[in-house]
Amino acid sequence: MASGTKTQTPSTIEAFPPGPKESREWLWSLLLGLVILGLVATVPVLGDASDLHTWTLIVMFAVLAQSWNFIGGFTGYSAFGNVAFFGIGAYTTGLMLLGNIPFWLGLIAGALVAGLFAFILGLPVLRLRGHYFAIATLGIAEALHEFVAVRNVGGDGGLMSLPLPSLSSYVSFFYAFLGLSLLCLLITVFLTRSRFGFALVAIRESEQAAEALGVPTYRYKVAAFVLSAVPTALAGGLYAYWATGFDPDTVFNVGISVEMVLLTFLGGKGTILGPLLGAIAFEYASYQFQISGFSLHNSLLGLSIAIVTIFFPQGILRLVQEFVRKPAPGSTSNRLIEGVRRVRRFIAANGV
Amino acid sequence: MVVGQVLVNWLLLGSLYAAVALGFSLVWGIMNIVNLAHGAFIIVGAYTAFWIYTQLHIDPYLGIPLTMAVLFVIGWIVQYVAINRVIRAPILVTFLLTFGLNLLIADLVQQFFSSDLRSINTAYAGNGLDIGSTHIAFDRLIAAVIAILLTAALNYFLTRTRTGNAILATGMDRDAARLMGISIRNTYALTFAIGAALAGAAGAMLSELYPFDPSAGGTFTLRAFVIVVLGGLGTPWGVLAGGLVFGLAETVVPLIPGVGPGYDDAIAFVVLVAILIFRPNGLLGKPFYS
Amino acid sequence: MSDALSQPTASNADLGGTGQHATPLLQLVGVTKRFGGLAAVNDLSFSLQKGEILGVIGPNGAGKSTMVNIIGGSMTLTSGTILYQGHDITRLPPNRRMRLGIVRTFQVTQPFMGLDVRENVMVGAFFGQQERNRTKALRIADEVLERVSLAHKATFKGDQLTIADRKRLEMARALATNPQLLLLDEVMAGLTATEVAQAVELIKQINNMGVTILVIEHIVRAIASVSNRILVLHHGRKIAEDEPSQVLSDPRVIEAYLGERYAQKRTREDVSMSSIALEDPRQSGEDR
Repeated sequence: MASGTKTQTPSTIEAFPPGPKESREWLWSLLLGLVILGLVATVPVLGDASDLHTWTLIVMFAVLAQSWNFIGGFTGYSAFGNVAFFGIGAYTTGLMLLGNIPFWLGLIAGALVAGLFAFILGLPVLRLRGHYFAIATLGIAEALHEFVAVRNVGGDGGLMSLPLPSLSSYVSFFYAFLGLSLLCLLITVFLTRSRFGFALVAIRESEQAAEALGVPTYRYKVAAFVLSAVPTALAGGLYAYWATGFDPDTVFNVGISVEMVLLTFLGGKGTILGPLLGAIAFEYASYQFQISGFSLHNSLLGLSIAIVTIFFPQGILRLVQEFVRKPAPGSTSNRLIEGVRRVRRFIAANGV
Repeated sequence: MVVGQVLVNWLLLGSLYAAVALGFSLVWGIMNIVNLAHGAFIIVGAYTAFWIYTQLHIDPYLGIPLTMAVLFVIGWIVQYVAINRVIRAPILVTFLLTFGLNLLIADLVQQFFSSDLRSINTAYAGNGLDIGSTHIAFDRLIAAVIAILLTAALNYFLTRTRTGNAILATGMDRDAARLMGISIRNTYALTFAIGAALAGAAGAMLSELYPFDPSAGGTFTLRAFVIVVLGGLGTPWGVLAGGLVFGLAETVVPLIPGVGPGYDDAIAFVVLVAILIFRPNGLLGKPFYS
Repeated sequence: MSDALSQPTASNADLGGTGQHATPLLQLVGVTKRFGGLAAVNDLSFSLQKGEILGVIGPNGAGKSTMVNIIGGSMTLTSGTILYQGHDITRLPPNRRMRLGIVRTFQVTQPFMGLDVRENVMVGAFFGQQERNRTKALRIADEVLERVSLAHKATFKGDQLTIADRKRLEMARALATNPQLLLLDEVMAGLTATEVAQAVELIKQINNMGVTILVIEHIVRAIASVSNRILVLHHGRKIAEDEPSQVLSDPRVIEAYLGERYAQKRTREDVSMSSIALEDPRQSGEDR
């Protein structure tokens, strides 16, 4: 170990002046996120019943995207089966409701079951990488889907019919989802500032280097996976009661898994605001399509995925960041032109 | 159930599965793209065969060349328009893209054909060979034979023809192949188109054996993945081997007391995870394509 | 690193000796690594004393990086033993070896994109030293950055760094873990002559703080000026292990780099490796 005798350095760290100020990006993102959520919170007041319905779902998808971001965005492990947790939350809460257990207890139970499931399944599956991990998680979700349907969980073919909620109105559900989204936002901000979060990013960027520096990669990967499962399951439980009825095809739908991924990608994976923005943007657009008579949700989803992955897989947020980034010192060109040029180069680089 | 019957079921199913996974393994092995739209191609193949049968009154098996041609064209277009642009992107991006394409194609099929369950019942559908108490259905037998022929044909094409060799070379070392004058863009387009055509053939066969609707594709993609992982990303014969092993699992597991039918995806998943943990190079384990 | 920063680790317990000829810090005994039929590292044995700087050179493909992977634990060896402070660590995984104070850098730099320079180094502080307090980790990172002259770029992101910066970041990250044994894998590749000199200075500084260093390098002149001893690998075998001046005039070493006839010719003319190294095209001094 260092002897401290031959050095010319001060013997305590307090003698060193602090370095340049830390970036305040996280604070701005947090504030902006709060503003956005605040604006959305006015929907029950300013909108009608159908708006409330739409926005409840939008916020729900925001929660799904935000929690996927923990494992997919921050840790870099693209899980393609997180709908499994949604379904687990829905069925657990649903079954408990049918058993006359209080709703909030059912929610917690759902979260616990999903967390446990994520833990147990995460252990073998997080040893895989790339394609294999993605397909394995996809397989879990499909297998669970099948299992619930075949085993007639809760009723014929897994169809669940729940009693009407005792909560006063749909507004309460809306705020519950909103609260969940706020929670996810706060967790995300915490991740960008904490030791745990740094480790996840390190794992994403270079698992080998992270290990060489002492990061307990396996443990943290599993933790991130469990972390992504919990809000997803809570959302599933809320959905179950809100919809008062669902079947395996609805709550274990693989399209939901992929939609989570797309929304996060669209907004910018690994960022604080990305999933939230992506969810709002896409779901709102999708809704507009629906009211104009097209029931092409899947086609729209598929097409959006194609466009996003081909042209800007880094997401809108990164595109914007690239545009506004301070130019290198000494550059003399106009900020705007430089920004456009950079964005174009950015898009082109993601292609072939 | 009589052992003989189980054996027959297994061999027929396993061979059929080889057809399902052939195109998928080709695209993965050569282009390193896990094509999640493979299932959609299979479904399009099924619907094409259906259309051929109901409009042109041609037996699905006889119509396979036509079905394959249609899918070949579709595959080429998809490659040119979309896949080509993400060849160098990270794996997740291509994964997501092909999934998106899968959704899009399946939805378009649904718009066009509605989500009603379809099936094809040919005149010989119920007939078969009877050896003792073992029944070998003609339609399954023909499908299995076609599947094996396709496997052999693909193998021959890749190893004995110039174009096929070019494809293999591109798969092994893209840059070296380019330096030898092989057009990568065309090779990839060809590979993907052939993969789609093979999926189409599988779809045509499946259309006669099982009822189908636009959403049935996904489960085939999953199975194709497992089969390829089982057989190792190797020769077409490896795919056949993988198909047979997987067919074995699917035939035998439902026979276990208490399990019953309907767990196809669950079986696939369990097999997959088991292989990935215990024998990540697959059962045959030698890389051939890449 | 000053004692105020170090947390008690396994190595602090008095396992090694205190004298010059006590148990070596690191010992490789008959280490072999085969890839199929090819032995990348072949029956390699050497010792590293505490406080030394051991340079490792050898032509491309000599097995240097494989050796680092094996010592660091990311690659298992086929046969042989690795002893650290007299204890057999052959079976330990990388993070356990890291706990004992063995840290390596990567030849191809791998900065954590998404984190800025300071945060990158904080990862080392957080997990290498098991520091949980964010503020303290921040201070450790800042101190290390100061030491490697990257402090002014603390908020830069990975893609805004030059090659030299990235190499320094690799070292800074490793330093933040408060290592005992530092394995530097080609930290000077791609640097200009000035940057190489700075790197050499930095390595000496780090060594002065008590860190034992194993440096793999191609730039023979630089490594000669900083190492106490030099180890030469060729086709996975050790062909020389001695003081720099001895090694560089060793005909076997010259032969390994330049071929047999040249070695004979040179020996006859009594010219040494160091003058050959002066002709190394990488020393052209152009800015990159």
